[in-house]
Amino acid sequence: MILSVAAIVAVCAGILGVLVWKGIHAINWSFITQDPNPSIAEGGSSGGVRAPIAGTLMLIVFSTLLVLPISLGAAVYLAEYMDEHSAFTKAIRLGIEVLAGVPSVVFGMFGLAIFTAPWLAFMSSKGDGVEIERAFGRSFVVATVVMALHIMPFVIKVMEEAIRSVPSVYRDAAAGLGFTKWRALRTVVLPAARPGLATAIVLGMGLVAGDTAIVWLLLGGTMTMSGSDQWWLPWNWPALLTGTGSTLTTFTYFSSPAGDGNAPEMAYGAALLLILIVLALNAVVVWIGRRSSEARS
Amino acid sequence: MEGTTGTMAVISPEHVGTDGLVGQGPTRRKVETSVAKWLLMVAALIAGGTIVLMVIFVFLEAIPLIQHSGFSWLWGKEWDVALQDAYSEELWKFGVLPLIVGTMLTTTGAVIMAGVIGMGASVFLAELGPKKIRGPVETMVRLLAGVPSVVFGLIGLTILVPWVQKTFVTDAVLLRYSDIPLDGSGLGVAIAVLTFMILPFFVTVATDSLRAVPQRYRDGGLAIGLSPWRTVTRIVIPAATPGITAGLVLAAARAIGEAIAISMVGGALAFIPRIGDGPIALLEPLRTMAAAIVENGETMNVAPIQSVLFALAALLLLGSLLLSVLARIVFARLQRRMGVVSDREI
Repeated sequence: MILSVAAIVAVCAGILGVLVWKGIHAINWSFITQDPNPSIAEGGSSGGVRAPIAGTLMLIVFSTLLVLPISLGAAVYLAEYMDEHSAFTKAIRLGIEVLAGVPSVVFGMFGLAIFTAPWLAFMSSKGDGVEIERAFGRSFVVATVVMALHIMPFVIKVMEEAIRSVPSVYRDAAAGLGFTKWRALRTVVLPAARPGLATAIVLGMGLVAGDTAIVWLLLGGTMTMSGSDQWWLPWNWPALLTGTGSTLTTFTYFSSPAGDGNAPEMAYGAALLLILIVLALNAVVVWIGRRSSEARS
Repeated sequence: MEGTTGTMAVISPEHVGTDGLVGQGPTRRKVETSVAKWLLMVAALIAGGTIVLMVIFVFLEAIPLIQHSGFSWLWGKEWDVALQDAYSEELWKFGVLPLIVGTMLTTTGAVIMAGVIGMGASVFLAELGPKKIRGPVETMVRLLAGVPSVVFGLIGLTILVPWVQKTFVTDAVLLRYSDIPLDGSGLGVAIAVLTFMILPFFVTVATDSLRAVPQRYRDGGLAIGLSPWRTVTRIVIPAATPGITAGLVLAAARAIGEAIAISMVGGALAFIPRIGDGPIALLEPLRTMAAAIVENGETMNVAPIQSVLFALAALLLLGSLLLSVLARIVFARLQRRMGVVSDREI
């Protein structure tokens, strides 16, 4: 018992320690503000991670925006409207539960299967000189959609629990005032569940930030933004969104000794930034929890 | 969870919608309510239906492979060379057996390790650990769960692999097993990395299961004079078995699909580790199905490669579906057989 706790503590501390120790040297102003240098493939260690940081943030924001309405709707339906014993309910629940167990690499392949359909080429780009007639199927838009599906079951689960944990007195009181169920939901139940709903979203963000397989398959292996060199200019955004790019995870994979660009010190720099984002999101979850329990007492 | 059904009956639209007490007209309220209900149902349908679409699309893409080579790819033993041939000559002679075996070996190893370490940690967190340090340990577990797989891979590759190479891959070993490239990466490191990736997940489920065991079980054990340790091992853990077993199965579902980290530390060769070599098998390279998919994602414009990668994804999908359903069945069965009282569900 003591040994296994010691193992967990040691591994956890070891991972953080190694990341800080090896990554801190890589991080400086130019590392954060420059795009990856194309020569990274030849072992060059100049350039930075501006594009991967932007990629990670873009994926986090967009897939959260996409997953929010669907998850909230499904969670409300599951928590408030469902007849627990109907076959429909059971099927939906089973579907969501099973989806949560599907590996992210399979989500990536699913995305490729759908978005390489020729008529969906507007979401990515036409395949470049391929003998098969298909769309390229890799872009920020595609990665966003699939990432949203990937985090959906987890977000729904946490949201449903949040809604269910609102005391039924609230609902009874609203009904007593003559509120319709929908109005009671909107004005009483959902506001009361807000901390839990926010937690669900932030947990989802953490999953997006950490995933590598989906990004690697659906955002392509390009380290810089393929849409345009000056991708931050608003009129280049359509090209940016339908183009490929990278995130901190794929950058780490690419520049590790396992990838093409063998630059471990850059990989550690990116990994440290990544873990900082994950830690920050964790801190937000803790903060939300603490604030809501203070408000309740 | 309890009591919601009762509440639902009270405030369902039939009861509230007709009284006209509130400022909105009854018709508008009815329309609003039914539109809202439909929208919510659509969201639920998307959530529940995605898995169906996924099965259809992934399996459809694997069909060309079956048309070309039936099911012989399932037990063929040649992966790396076949991949080269497929790339250069569009041949369809794949063998994914090494990938299947690699996946099974890493998964089994990691589940056993995570089970052993995880049980200790869960007992600490839920039962016997000093209350003051439970909190920090729980934070550590949550932190470990948040570490991205690529970070596990990076540290495994740059720290663990060189250490294993220096410590275990001696000249004598190299000489004796000169037919296999041994460089420290392989089964052992893959299992170690995978163990700590699925560990936080298992610990969370197991801790919850232990906590769900009613307090009177513990009181009873202590009352008949058992020590706290024996109370936990003889009464609480057996009572929590359904949840713990289901947690192990779900952890296995995670392990079979891990791609990036295993591809980084697995040795990048579709070799079947020879268990007969004893501990040396832990040094032998391997490749898993998920790793093979991410490693070849770039060459998917070649028809045979594309189809075989989708076939691998289909196998993974099938595996994770079976494990998810198995976890449910195991949980329900064990719980019914043991007659354990618990209001928890998975």
